[in-house]
This record gives sequence, C-alpha cells and structure tokens, in this order.
Amino acid sequence: MDRISLSDPPTPEAAPARGGVPTSAAAPALRTRGLSRRLGGFSLRDVSLTVPVGAVYGLLGPNGAGKTTTLRLVMGLLRPDAGEVEVAGIDGLRHGAEARGKVGYVPERPALPDWMTVGRAMRHHAVFYPGWDAAYAAELARRLGVDPARRVRQLSKGETARLALLLALAHRPPVLLLDEPTDGLDAVARRTLTELLLEYVSDSGASVLVSSHLVHELERFADWVGVMDGGRLVAETPLERFRGSIKRLRVAAGATAEGSLPFHLLSREPRGREEVWAVRGWEPAMADALAARGVELREVVDLDLEDCYVELIRGDARKEAAHAG
Amino acid sequence: MLFSIEASSPVPIYAQVVAQVRAAIAAGELRAGDALPSVRQMAAELRVNPNTVAQAYRELEHEGLTYVQRGQGTFVAEVGPERLAGERTQVARALVERMLHEAFRLGLTPAEMRDTVDACLATLPGGGARAATLPADPPASIAIPFT
Repeated sequence: MDRISLSDPPTPEAAPARGGVPTSAAAPALRTRGLSRRLGGFSLRDVSLTVPVGAVYGLLGPNGAGKTTTLRLVMGLLRPDAGEVEVAGIDGLRHGAEARGKVGYVPERPALPDWMTVGRAMRHHAVFYPGWDAAYAAELARRLGVDPARRVRQLSKGETARLALLLALAHRPPVLLLDEPTDGLDAVARRTLTELLLEYVSDSGASVLVSSHLVHELERFADWVGVMDGGRLVAETPLERFRGSIKRLRVAAGATAEGSLPFHLLSREPRGREEVWAVRGWEPAMADALAARGVELREVVDLDLEDCYVELIRGDARKEAAHAG
Repeated sequence: MLFSIEASSPVPIYAQVVAQVRAAIAAGELRAGDALPSVRQMAAELRVNPNTVAQAYRELEHEGLTYVQRGQGTFVAEVGPERLAGERTQVARALVERMLHEAFRLGLTPAEMRDTVDACLATLPGGGARAATLPADPPASIAIPFT
C-alpha cells in the first residue's frame, strides 16, 4: 500500500492562477464518475459517487473493497485508468492542486517525517495550503493536546491521529476526506476526534466523506451511506432510506412466490416453522402485495445500520457466487 | 436536562431529539424561556450530525414548542396549559401504543391488558393516585424507550 507523506502535497508553483480554474455553480461537494483503476490483482470498477454539499457521507465496505483506493484517486495520489473526479465543482484531474486545496485529507496511515517536531510538521504543511490558519492550528493543537515541541516519532498512535486531523482542518477546507480516521484508537481518543470533527462541521458547514468499518460510529452522524464491495459501489442512499429499505421478514414456511417478488431477496433461511427473509427495496405497502401472493407475513423486523450493511454485503456475495457458478 | 439517543433504533435520530424535548416540556422539566443547547453543542454531545439536530430544532420551532432568538439561540416557547396537557397525552399515547403492541404479540386480550395495568398501578406508591393537574414538583426525568 502506498503512503502519503509530507513531501506529497500539491506544489504551490504548479498551481495556475486561482481565477483561471473553471468551477460549476451548485456542484456537489464531491463527485466521481465511472472511476476505474487496476492495481495488481485488484480493480476498482466504475465508481460513481456523489457527496451532496453539507452531507456527512459514510463509505462502508469490507477490507479490500476499494475504499482507500477511491479516496486516493480523489486526492490525485493515483491516476485513474478511466473516469472523472470533481471536488467543489473543480475538475480534479485537470486542476488537481486547486481541487486538493479544497480538501482536508486524513490518510489511512499518516506518514509524517518522524524526525520533525510537531510544530515544524505544521509549518511544513502550511506551505502547501494558502488558506492555512496558523492561529486556528495552534488552537486545535491545544484542544487536541498535541504538543508542538514533541517529535513526530515520539507520538502515540492516538496522538498521530489527532495531529493528522489537525493538519486536515487547519486550512479550513470545505470538504473533508477521512480514511478510517479513528481506526485503532481507544474509546476516549475516538470520542475526542468525533466531537472535534462534528464541531468543525457545525461551524463550517463542511461536507465529509468518511470511510470506516466502525459502522456503529457512522450510524450516529452519517446522513448518507455508500457501500463498496469488490471494487464497486453497490449502494448509495440517504442513511434513513437505506435503513428503511433493508429489512428482515418473518414469514410462514412454504411460501413459493420468489419469482414475482416486488423487492430484491438477499437471503432466505428456514427458522423452525418460519422463514427469515432478508430483503432490499422494502416499502410498507408491499405487505399487501405479499398477502396477495399467498405469503403469510408475520413481522417486519427493523435492522440497525450494521445489520443492513451485513445483509447487503452477504447478498452481494451470493449474487457474485451465482454468476460465477 | 440530559439528552440521549439510541442510534440503532428504527426511530430516526431527529425524531428522537424532538420526542425528548417534547417530553421534557410536557413533564415541566423544560419551561418557557429555558434555553436549549446550541446545535453545535448538542451535536458534539450526542455525537450526531449537526444537520440532524438542526432538523429537529426546525421541527420543534415549526410546532411552536420553541422559538429562535437571532444570535441568542433556541428557547422553549410559552405553551398554554391546554397545549401542555395535549403534549402529555401525546407522549403517553405513544408509550401505551408501544406497550399494547408488545402485549398483543403475547396474545393478551384487552380485558387481560386492563387487569394487568390495574394490578401494576396498585403496586405503585399511593396506589397510582396522582393529582390530575400538572405536578408542582415535576418528575426528575421521563425515560422514553426507543427500541
């Protein structure tokens, strides 16, 4: 896996004049179209995702689904084989430096030169961002308990994560791109980071794309979800609609209506004298349609985000297996 | 006033925030002129999306339970005694509906339900008899199950 280091950020001299960059009004915070990239045995295929302005978009997916690759393509750290990236209305492939200037990025594994002090790392980072707010950076350092005098190599995992968030926020970007920002942190550190992130969003109205496998954490503050699996985006929807459409149904055993169901059947398992169906695309009105088909529906069970996500991924795996076989 | 939400509940988070503020007003825990936490504060405290808190606050304002003072924040509105009683009834109804739903799943008849409620009431201090008017001393908190 490649790493981003402090020597990677956009070079200021490469940036054309700000006024010369075409942007489209009323553009989403972030949009990719048909993003594809082969990387060794892995291929990201046709990822088109949209983060509306002001949204907190949770990107879910198993390890190896392509979340990090997608984020790296958006940041211009990888070139796509095909597809487009647009950040705050700026074409990310033609005007990478400007697009990245709009983004606060927390990489999966922040790799900072470990001989630097925290203060020096901050000044180094500031050079690449015209909007860097030194006073705000100092305030963040105080709030996060990051001591500018310490050396990067002395920082714990939690401190490194806090420094990475500080570096992402201090130029007050309108878009945040966070790759597993709380991965491997303890509960207290996670809480601190989440609170700070939400305060930033409150104050700035920034849009956020955050990838995480901590589904319960996202359930609290994401309002959009995208689900990736096997290099593809398999779902993208407002979180409430996602949870409203994936349900478990308890039905009487012996139902045979599979071919003509109004929803997508993700799984079907016998459970005593009943069956439990996991379905996608559920709407309350479908209860009547089921009754008309002779399916005796006993209960519609609401699922939390994690259960919805797991049912969807398992259903996707079954579909893949069926295609392959 | 302490707010808490259940993220995995099927009830949307904004609706949970609305219900808790409504219940606090109905119980007299929040009174006219009391300030609600700022959107920023509430979002950080509950670790939820500020947009979600803002949505809840908009709904409360729309219902006339709160008002916004520009630059000052959100405050509990003057709510007449009839409206207050109505709010209490509405909160109570939601609780009872939930209870009935569970009871009917167990196969209880309406008569059995009434008997059970009476039996439980009898075990409360004072036999469940309480002033019909708003209590001078509001209850410390109302817990609303969201599961």
